[in-house]
Amino acid sequence: MTKLYTVAEMTGREIFRRRGVLVLLLTLPLAFYLARRTDHSGQAVRFVLLGVSWAVSVVALFAGSASRAIEPRLRLSGYRSHQLYLGRLAALWGIGAVLSVPYTLLVAVDQDAVRSGAVAVAMLLGVAVAAPLGLLLSAVLPRELEGTLALLIVIGLQMIIDPSATVARSLPFWSSREIATYAVDHVDSGYLERGVLHGLGFMIGLTVLVAVISTLRLRRRPHLRVMPIQ
Amino acid sequence: MIEAHNNQWLAALAVELRRCGVAPDLAHHVVHEVATHLRDSGEAASQVFGTPAAYAAAVADSLGPSTGIYQARRPTGQVRLAVRGVSKRYGRRSVLRNVDLTVRAGEIAAIVGANGCGKSTLLRICAGILSPDSGEVFIDGRIGYCPQEGGTYDFLLPDEHFVLVGAGRGMSRDQAVSDGRRQAGHLGWDARERVLARHLSGGTRQKLNLVMSSLGDPEILLLDEPYQGFDRGTYLDFWDQLWEWRNAGRAIVVVTHLLNHLDRVDTVLDLTPSAPVTGVGQRRAEP
Repeated sequence: MTKLYTVAEMTGREIFRRRGVLVLLLTLPLAFYLARRTDHSGQAVRFVLLGVSWAVSVVALFAGSASRAIEPRLRLSGYRSHQLYLGRLAALWGIGAVLSVPYTLLVAVDQDAVRSGAVAVAMLLGVAVAAPLGLLLSAVLPRELEGTLALLIVIGLQMIIDPSATVARSLPFWSSREIATYAVDHVDSGYLERGVLHGLGFMIGLTVLVAVISTLRLRRRPHLRVMPIQ
Repeated sequence: MIEAHNNQWLAALAVELRRCGVAPDLAHHVVHEVATHLRDSGEAASQVFGTPAAYAAAVADSLGPSTGIYQARRPTGQVRLAVRGVSKRYGRRSVLRNVDLTVRAGEIAAIVGANGCGKSTLLRICAGILSPDSGEVFIDGRIGYCPQEGGTYDFLLPDEHFVLVGAGRGMSRDQAVSDGRRQAGHLGWDARERVLARHLSGGTRQKLNLVMSSLGDPEILLLDEPYQGFDRGTYLDFWDQLWEWRNAGRAIVVVTHLLNHLDRVDTVLDLTPSAPVTGVGQRRAEP
């Protein structure tokens, strides 16, 4: 547990010191929100949810990329693979949860007749999906630029594809749009249920993928045998 | 005025002689001789002898390697690392062919060879980070690995690196920090400064890298050209440190392309394809 906590702590410290990047990323959801606030308040809520998810994804991508070269030596220093990726995920989820608070409050205060509880759930689910998504991209796309462009594609598609289309469900943040519809348009609870299931499914699926890739990449190769040598 | 200058110069000379590997009693004798000469002549040391580093190097050269403290000996400790028949290809290019290497506790093995001959590849295979196409590596003990580049977090402080690696080794925070700072001190670096790793100079960053690899006293040290960016003094300190670790019973493999310190290692593995000994560790410094 100490090892996992130490990884989480150092991930948090490393992220909080990227101040310039953090400020830009954390104001992005606000920009999304303000851009649609006057003409379509429902879209403003959907966009702030996507903004928070995108910000957390990018932070996760940076954290994953920064760790890529160091993880092999940490494995040799006594860490297990799961301690590395779970510690990193724990830090990212924590940071995302903290980031969600002001935006949830903003929507609750600024919007009339919005189901604030549902907005909070959508926000947290977005964070839960975004962290492993960013880590996964950092694992398969070693350079930050490539990962950031991949995230832009994901978030761009999420914004332009009709959420009722079947293909939209294959996108990671479909849940936030579904729950936002429930929160803003006061539709039936089926939207909420589908959204929560979709979000949880993606969170678990992406986390499993991160676990598999990390374990494979950081595995001890079979040619190496630890034993007393005669 | 001259006396104060000379005293400072003599103190610096003592340090440089140690760095050059001159035995302590011999170094003391040299310093005493120089001090006597300066006192008698009343001259400024720097005018007569030049810089302490240059004079120490000249003294060490004139004494020859056999007078240094680095007396090679045949290691007798248990085998910590055994590489057996390791081969590796990248595409059509074969970089390692049937390589064997045995390193015992209390032994320094140097892997040398031209650029691209597979030195770093072999070290990564020894660390279990990279798979060979064939062959096996047996280890008996924990590994500390110092990569050639990277290996640190840009936005963490040196102490935080020590805590991170130390936790993996089962060390407490205080223990990791104090041990890290102590080892940094041996390399002439005050690691207490609160400077992010990205703001450290290249050489200091490599010192951090090196200290991280040896934290927790792993029995096997795999060092991939860890001295890059070191100034001359630190480079000599690094070899002193290596020697101390060796005398403490650690098995050390160091990748190097600088051949001027091979008299300080016990085994040399030359991976140059045209080398007369291919693949098998060749002992250069016999007792």
